[in-house]
Amino acid sequence: MSSKMLLRGTPLTLTLWNPKIQHKLLQLRRLSSKTNCSSLQPPNVSHLAKTAHISLTPTEVEEFGPKIQQVIGWFGQLQGVDLQSIEPSIRADTENNLRDNTPEIFDHRDAIIASVPSYEEPYIKVPKVLNVD
Amino acid sequence: MSYTMFRTFQVHPFLLYPTSILKRRNGFLYSTTIPKATQSSQTETKVSTSSQSKNLYKIPKDYEAVIGIETHVQLSTLTKAFCNCPYSYGSFPNSSICPVCMGLPGALPVLNNKVIEFAVKLGLALNCNLAFNSKFDRKQYFYPDLPKGYQISQFDVPIAASGFLDVDIPLEFGGGHKRFGITRVHMEEDAGKLMHTEKGNYSQVDLNRAGVPLLEIVSEPDMRNGIEAAEYAAEIQRLVRYLGVSNGNMQEGSLRCDVNVSVRPIGQSKFGTKVEVKNLNSFSSMSRAIDFEISRQVLLHSQGQEDQIVQETRLWEEGSQRTITMRKKEGLADYRYFPEPDLPSVILSQEYVDGIQTSLPELPEEKRRRYEKMGLGMQDVIFLANDKNIAEFFDATLAKGADAKSAANWIMSDIAAFMKNEKLTINDIKLTPEELSELIASIKGGIISGKIGKEILFELLAKGGSVKEIIEKKDLVQITDPVEIEKMVVKVIEENPKQLEQYRGGKTKLQGYFAGQVMKASKGKANPGLLNKILLEKLNSTT
Repeated sequence: MSSKMLLRGTPLTLTLWNPKIQHKLLQLRRLSSKTNCSSLQPPNVSHLAKTAHISLTPTEVEEFGPKIQQVIGWFGQLQGVDLQSIEPSIRADTENNLRDNTPEIFDHRDAIIASVPSYEEPYIKVPKVLNVD
Repeated sequence: MSYTMFRTFQVHPFLLYPTSILKRRNGFLYSTTIPKATQSSQTETKVSTSSQSKNLYKIPKDYEAVIGIETHVQLSTLTKAFCNCPYSYGSFPNSSICPVCMGLPGALPVLNNKVIEFAVKLGLALNCNLAFNSKFDRKQYFYPDLPKGYQISQFDVPIAASGFLDVDIPLEFGGGHKRFGITRVHMEEDAGKLMHTEKGNYSQVDLNRAGVPLLEIVSEPDMRNGIEAAEYAAEIQRLVRYLGVSNGNMQEGSLRCDVNVSVRPIGQSKFGTKVEVKNLNSFSSMSRAIDFEISRQVLLHSQGQEDQIVQETRLWEEGSQRTITMRKKEGLADYRYFPEPDLPSVILSQEYVDGIQTSLPELPEEKRRRYEKMGLGMQDVIFLANDKNIAEFFDATLAKGADAKSAANWIMSDIAAFMKNEKLTINDIKLTPEELSELIASIKGGIISGKIGKEILFELLAKGGSVKEIIEKKDLVQITDPVEIEKMVVKVIEENPKQLEQYRGGKTKLQGYFAGQVMKASKGKANPGLLNKILLEKLNSTT
């Protein structure tokens, strides 16, 4: 089982049918540590989609519910681990990984700018959004 | 070199870059009119605050205001928090970017060690408990100036917590010491700059600022009025400048304050509804905005309409001098915090912390107490300790032997006036602390008079040089030989028989005329005290 990989907190690289769901799972990981997987509420897909700024058709909402639940259930296997005698830790790795405060100009700024879909020199052009989330 | 910072980076035009920005299938355009980060001109109106606002916004005795302040301090590290991009205010838009701060796929953050150093410095200076093991979290929300769709911040384990800040209220507002609690200090990254176009349905994003390190300081709700809040903010500014962690400029945006204001009847332990006020660009507008908001809330209370006070964010409008609704907070925002998987814990060692503790400079509060002990008045104390460079100049002058009161007087009057006129800082003027000390000693020792001293000072400020040199060159040594002075006095009296008669006839004010003439004759070098003594003798004698 690849629970070891999950415990080390490395980014997930599951091959899913839908890459949009990927980052939602990182959030669900936290949920599943709190509740027993069998007693877990079915996911509120509309709410999840809203917070992720993804619009789904009613059909998609229906379809995704059980699929998401399956994945959660797969993670839920972690609930089987006995953590009674284990000290809770903030994070798995304990070494500082720092860099020096020395400036470095990134060489390929042009390539970045070129890949911006909507660029009006010298700004990135975006639709007018007046409010946060 | 920068490729070692992140794993397999590929530029996929159009593919992985968030296309949701353009193909917005969801309409998330609210109908409010005020944008989040405006770049409209912040005109600094010099309003005479104190007496006027105190009268208009006097809090009725039966209510008390509860104010808390959140301050964001932009750190003056050379590079950003999680990548090596340099940051300097005002550089050409989108010139200092890289895949990490742009949030491009595959890029990974690596923490700048300077950020930890500055955070520990500030935490210690604010008398906080440090978390020797803290972590970063993702604060998730969508906004065009937030490239990753989340901000790397610290949620439940901030690097510092439970501290306090001691403040001296300026004399014109009542004076006195106050201590304000600090709830927490945590590290996070800044977002880019978003500018809305006047007409047109689009906005513009500059990501130079994205990823710049910030320290967020959250205070306890200990302030009770606008003055206290403004002084708290001023002390934070003083502190970060003293520590060298930030230049603390509100105009530049390297120091940003948001305030939370609520009122409650005195005696009630439950807090009233809290209202957030943003768009405060100076300490004085902070003070006025808070006072306005307090009176607005108290008015509603007194009219029995306290339910009209809702938890919301209001903007301070400098022009009309009032707060206006920005948007109603529809419940608390759900930021879906979770630990940042791409960053390890931040581990501090006792050794590291001790090292920083010993390297802390004397803080403003310590300086003020030390200056007070020297016998200086609070006015002087506050002035001298306000600017680290002025305090250093003052201390250096004392080190050369000058007494505190004299040094303080010279710095606060003539030297301060010169700096203001010439628009120079104390580091720019040519006068050195040694020479100031020499000047003070020369006057004390009677070598030169106070008046001559002022002239010498002016030359020292503008051109430098030494006191001794100038005295010699211009032959300014004071005449203190009574015999010599008597000679001059006698001569002047002889040359002005008419005035002598008038004096002896009762016009005693003419003594000043005679004194002036003697001064002129001596080229200003006669010791004034001796001069007048001898003059009076001669004038009043009957010979």
